[in-house]
Amino acid sequence: MKQSILISGSGGQGVISAGILIAQSAADSGKYASFLPEYGPEQRGGSAKATVLTSDTEIISPLPKKCMYWLCMNEQSFKKFGSQLKEGGVLVYNSNRVVSPITRTDITAIPVPSDQLADQIGNPKAANIILIGALLAARKAIIDPEHFLHSLEEKFMSKSEEIREMNAKAFKIGAEIGSKYDE
Amino acid sequence: MATEYKKIYQRPYAIMPVMSGYCPGCLHSLATKIIAEAVEELGQQENAMHVLPVGCAALGLLYWRGDMVGAAHGRAPAVATGIKRCCPDRLVFAYQGDGDLAAIGLAEIISAANRGEKFTVIFANNSTYGMTGGQMAPTTLIGQKSTTSVYGRSVDEAGYPIKMAEIIAQLEAPAYVARFALNTPKGVNEARKGIKKAFRMQLEGKGFTFIELLTNCPTNWGMSPLKSLQYMTENTMKYFVPGVYKDVEVEA
Amino acid sequence: MAKILMKGCEAVAEAAVRGGCRFFAGYPITPQNEIPEYLSRRLPEVGGHFVQGESEVASVNMVYGASTMGIRAMTSSSGPGISLKAEGISYLASCKLPALIVNVSRGGPGLGSIQPAQSYYLQATKALGHGGFRVMVFAPYSLQEAVDLTYEAFEYAERDRNPVFLLMDGCLGAIMELVELPEMKEPTDENTKKWNLSKKEGEKRPPRALTPIYPEVILEMENKLRGELYKKWEKEDVKVEEFMTEDAEYIVVAYGIAARVAKEAVLTLREQGCKIGMIRPITLYPFPKQSFHKLDYDKVKAIIDIELTIPAQMRDDIALEVMNRAPIFEYGRSGGNLLDDDGVYDAIMKVIKEVG
Repeated sequence: MKQSILISGSGGQGVISAGILIAQSAADSGKYASFLPEYGPEQRGGSAKATVLTSDTEIISPLPKKCMYWLCMNEQSFKKFGSQLKEGGVLVYNSNRVVSPITRTDITAIPVPSDQLADQIGNPKAANIILIGALLAARKAIIDPEHFLHSLEEKFMSKSEEIREMNAKAFKIGAEIGSKYDE
Repeated sequence: MATEYKKIYQRPYAIMPVMSGYCPGCLHSLATKIIAEAVEELGQQENAMHVLPVGCAALGLLYWRGDMVGAAHGRAPAVATGIKRCCPDRLVFAYQGDGDLAAIGLAEIISAANRGEKFTVIFANNSTYGMTGGQMAPTTLIGQKSTTSVYGRSVDEAGYPIKMAEIIAQLEAPAYVARFALNTPKGVNEARKGIKKAFRMQLEGKGFTFIELLTNCPTNWGMSPLKSLQYMTENTMKYFVPGVYKDVEVEA
Repeated sequence: MAKILMKGCEAVAEAAVRGGCRFFAGYPITPQNEIPEYLSRRLPEVGGHFVQGESEVASVNMVYGASTMGIRAMTSSSGPGISLKAEGISYLASCKLPALIVNVSRGGPGLGSIQPAQSYYLQATKALGHGGFRVMVFAPYSLQEAVDLTYEAFEYAERDRNPVFLLMDGCLGAIMELVELPEMKEPTDENTKKWNLSKKEGEKRPPRALTPIYPEVILEMENKLRGELYKKWEKEDVKVEEFMTEDAEYIVVAYGIAARVAKEAVLTLREQGCKIGMIRPITLYPFPKQSFHKLDYDKVKAIIDIELTIPAQMRDDIALEVMNRAPIFEYGRSGGNLLDDDGVYDAIMKVIKEVG
């Protein structure tokens, strides 16, 4: 099964690292994976977008017009990429930043106050992991949440235990919200 | 009783036993010879690696005996960088003219000097583009006529002749920077010693070494060889003052 | 060896090191910066040398210098920088020096855009510099292919004593995919020892010269040999993927990232019963001419050239082989806009309806 995930936000919000984490985790679980960042000239603050594809078979095109899932981290990119989510898709968005009303009725929208939640656990940088937690708990077919947690642990193996625990906590907070939307 | 002859002078090994193609009275021949002598005095004939430029200075290709690479116009210091980094034990030197070094190749010479690349650049400054027919060079003197400054170089349009030795001596990295004039035997002897010193310092890994040689161009200056040497004393050397501009061995 | 998830630029850089590359010089330009960044830390680990040049002009000349010593050397850049390297690439070809040049392409002309594009086909295949020389142009469409071609590139470069050009667009430079890396080759100057200027300690041999200038008689002879070499490439070294072309009524022609998207469309259309296939040049030069002569033009209704650039640049090469036996259409995107599955599918459908 081919899965497509669009991730968008502003530079510095962890769009790229979220994409790499998902792609790496999919690869660790034996799937094919591709991660394609699209970039602007700015190092910080410009809009950032990435596409992650995972599949049980080889990935031919890494450039889908529309994706099944969307992690949206800010208002600007919400306005820009709205048409790139498929019908029946899932939108997980940072409700602290995305303020426009969600008008599409053909999708599942999961609001996650990820900035606020990340601040609460004392790690503003983990907002992207909270969003991933929400998505993977809502749609376990992408990657098993348990497997993702394992990949997350591996990825930050060289970091302190405190950081690893904080990441796991962020993921679980997001997953708690996402699980309410599990099909 | 037969007269016994003792050999007191011979063609250096690194110069091929062929006729020079340089114009009569041109000091490029002399420069090539003293470089060859310096190489020989250091026993580096097998180890020398000569990077040739574009311009008259490239004619060394026909006379030099030793490993050689021809570089694009101005790029000799970049080519030498690639060579020396890969083969640090070789004696690597680039021989460049003034258009090559002080105009089109400014970025390459300044950057190689600034990185402190451990090779030697010998810069033949004759205030003209010789091979292409005597056009104005960045080193053409104020008021000096050329085929592209027929009324004489004007400061207003072309600025001042560029003093490469002084510029390079301002950089931190170079180990030895000196200028010599080849129009007198004394100057030639000093230049030979300077080149030898630069080569020795290179072999000792002391850093970038730069030798500027003031030379002539009787053909394009429109003078007899002797007159051109006199012109150098009266004009060139007053603006491009010979001397040692940097020497880390003395500073230390 | 296990497959690992790698970024395009880094995968190519690592493949070059494993292929024996021990010298890199380059200058920063998006979207290829990960190549010099990676090599600046990787080359010292294997006894190689990295130089950040003062310009693309200087960098390619550093590669030229390293290559004269029999060292496997490479540089990388993107369009504007490749234009600056044009002088050096011509000198490499003139001096018959092997080297690998990687172009991770962006939008052009001029500064263009930093986003992915396939806007350098003509430059790469027709005139990378002055003088009428050619180089082999490899155009991978996946990271695995990029790795494999890079790994082999020095063998071709040394065999032919000519630079090899790897043309990949910014998508492939930035994408992360699974790749299997080849074994590390020990650097050797076996292929170049007859002419390179290096000397082992104490080695004596007659002096050697490598120069980019030739006496008239020799230059003519060398150029004749070049012509023969290019003909030999066409016979022996063409790399191409012919995908479902046997019974095809529609032929898509695409390379690199465009071929990935086009192949997806071909597969979708096949599922829908459309007789469509794809010719994917892997060597853009030598161009896979024979693939076009093998087609059954009684069946072929249209050729569709799909490129991530506007106007299409490969079209002339296609037209020379198709020889008016089928109409040629083109579709592309430009200005930092990417091709996408639906867009390519729709473009093909439009042609099918028009011709059909």
